[in-house]
Amino acid sequence: MTLTREDIAKYPFLADAAEEVRRVNLEIQSLDNPELESIIKRAANRIREALENNPPRVSYRKRQEDIEIPSFPVAIIMAASSGSNYIKRRYALGEAIRAYNLLIEEEREKILEVAKAFNWRIRQVKDIIGNRRFDFALSFIDYLRNTKPFHEERFKLVNKPLIKGDVYLTKREAARLLQEEVRKRIEDKLNMEIRLKLPDRLLNQIENLKRKYAGYKEKRILEEAPKEMIYEAFPPCIRQLLSAAKSGQHISHLGRFTLTSFLLNIGMKIQDIVDIFRSSSDFNERLTRYQIEHIAGSRGSGTKYIPPSCETLKTHGLCPDFEACGNVKHPLASYRRRMRTFKKE
Amino acid sequence: MNNTLFIHDRFAEFYKENASIIKPPSKISQREFGFFTFKKDIVIRHKGFLNVKDLRNYVKQIIPSHAYYSAAYYETPEESMEKKGWLGADLYFDIDADHIPTKCRKIHDTWKCKKCGFQGRGIAPAECPICSGRGFEERKWPCEICLESAKYEAIKLLDFLIDDFGFSHHEIQVSFSGHRGYHIQVESEKIRELDSSARKEIVDYITGTGLNPIYHGLQGTPRGRHVTSGPHMDEPGWRGRIARGTHEFLLSIRKEDLEDLSLKKKLIDEIISRREEILRSWEKEGPWSLIRGAGVETWKKIIGKAIESQSAIIDTVVTTDIHRLIRLPYTLHGKTGWLKTPIPAEKIEEFDPLSSAIAFKRGEATIYVEEAPEFRIGEETFGPYKNIKVELPLAAAIFLLCKDAAKVVD
Ligand SMILES: [Zn+2]
Ligand SMILES: [Zn+2]
Repeated sequence: MTLTREDIAKYPFLADAAEEVRRVNLEIQSLDNPELESIIKRAANRIREALENNPPRVSYRKRQEDIEIPSFPVAIIMAASSGSNYIKRRYALGEAIRAYNLLIEEEREKILEVAKAFNWRIRQVKDIIGNRRFDFALSFIDYLRNTKPFHEERFKLVNKPLIKGDVYLTKREAARLLQEEVRKRIEDKLNMEIRLKLPDRLLNQIENLKRKYAGYKEKRILEEAPKEMIYEAFPPCIRQLLSAAKSGQHISHLGRFTLTSFLLNIGMKIQDIVDIFRSSSDFNERLTRYQIEHIAGSRGSGTKYIPPSCETLKTHGLCPDFEACGNVKHPLASYRRRMRTFKKE
Repeated sequence: MNNTLFIHDRFAEFYKENASIIKPPSKISQREFGFFTFKKDIVIRHKGFLNVKDLRNYVKQIIPSHAYYSAAYYETPEESMEKKGWLGADLYFDIDADHIPTKCRKIHDTWKCKKCGFQGRGIAPAECPICSGRGFEERKWPCEICLESAKYEAIKLLDFLIDDFGFSHHEIQVSFSGHRGYHIQVESEKIRELDSSARKEIVDYITGTGLNPIYHGLQGTPRGRHVTSGPHMDEPGWRGRIARGTHEFLLSIRKEDLEDLSLKKKLIDEIISRREEILRSWEKEGPWSLIRGAGVETWKKIIGKAIESQSAIIDTVVTTDIHRLIRLPYTLHGKTGWLKTPIPAEKIEEFDPLSSAIAFKRGEATIYVEEAPEFRIGEETFGPYKNIKVELPLAAAIFLLCKDAAKVVD
């Protein structure tokens, strides 16, 4: 692949960062050199942009390759050595969104080149399916790898044209998937251990960023469980499993896991959960307790488990009524939401 | 002589002569093996073999009632689960008549209350109507109708794997499970490292879970009151399936079917009275814009039926479990005495499990049959039996003994 200087300025993650640094004779130790002032300034500015814009977005400075290109690896070093996961994630996303915005303005050939640089099994097409025109056919394996964090209905594989192993995509969709690939690649770079001794000037910059931004803690997905338990606020999946358990009906392995982990997470005692399964025809107190303790994290790996997401429950036929929970993605979230409305009443 | 011992001895004779047909999985040294034995509740897991000879000798030696290997590849398969070092897994599908709502189940499947002995047919209730007991012995029969419907699901699944997912025939292995279903295994470098969540998306695709027809060509006016166009039958992927399934549904439509979808009475009457016209419409654009008053939501309900008939019924847990153990090809199934039997994918339609999967081809045995519906082995039909002593070919006798429907007569 032949990348122009302009391409590398737009998509600096494609280039070998170490080589870029060398190219401008930018030894880490020489970063103290005042001549490099503008590069370091831009590097810090890249991170700042990612932290200040919402959604995070790093800008692109046209025709300033000499600064755009080397400032990227410097920014990576800075963000990585901040040690803050929040800064790292925000910065990776900011750079990824920057790439997306540049990619959607490109010709299809350029998108293809960038995708191939990530080893995507992709080809250009000009197919019309229904009355929509598609630009690319991408192996469903690469498709699934890059849509994993997407939750929009339109990105679900079942809602995509899939023919002979290829998912058909528009240019915009391909760029959106590339954004995800870029985000992952940058996060990987940021999580590599940095064993360099950084010059003071850089360390100061990093400290400044941390002081200003790392205080933003991400909202924890699972808040502390409320003390009281309100049966009426249980989501339909849990109610159904609970009444099946109480009446001794057969419950699948996944169903038992879902019910148990849910009840543990909302604060039910292990003994009370054991009692729920007592009606089961093959009830074995010791084994049941062992399984529950395992899910509670007091045995084995020590991991405390949380119930599967709504999507997983849907796949396995354990969600009786997904409209009843509104736009919620997790049974615990559904419970908390219901708790709030329940308390208001 | 007790039943278990009798079955054990026949299995032993079989393996002594035929262990060489046991088909090892590829990369045998990276697989975990597991076995059930005839000694009650003895399960052997985390076994590893370096070559097929050791595996076959081991089977001959322990005489398993069920033999399994992992769909997964491990660095050290004999270690405990956390230390095995997962390297990847084949993509695996299990189709079992248990998940298919065939009508005959109500006739041939039986249950018996463990407490008071009360018996019934179909799926066991939550609670015994006589003594409120909650434990049941269930007996499920691999009847021909159930086996055929499992085969039909397998054929639909193959269609997804080949046409949509682009797997080639040599990457796909189809087998009869040895009981009530089919196993389909995809072995390919490409899919080996797919994680559980990617496999879940594949499952959702095949079962039509989360499918919204508006992404497959169902288009309406902005507020969805009228539909302007929809997919056509000869299109690939779910578009074609939606059209073909809708066509099929409307072809044999009865008033009650539409009432089940809770459509308005006026709409039902219109669809029924214009059936001929609807069927003819498939030659052109399809019926999507034909029925006034049938908006996007109405069509979504009808398409829901199409998705039901076109999707394949698979065990969703098996496919998403990347550590699953699966039955070893050409080993005996302890619930039937039949073999798990590989079939070339293109031969599945004419495959007859009741001839090809039969292991015991010689000998007879006299047994006392408590109750059994009519069944076939090879060309011969047996039963129905009720409380009767009969001499049967060994294959038929073993089958009834494995089903626990008969007792050995000394
Ligand atoms: Zn009873
Ligand atoms: Zn049947």
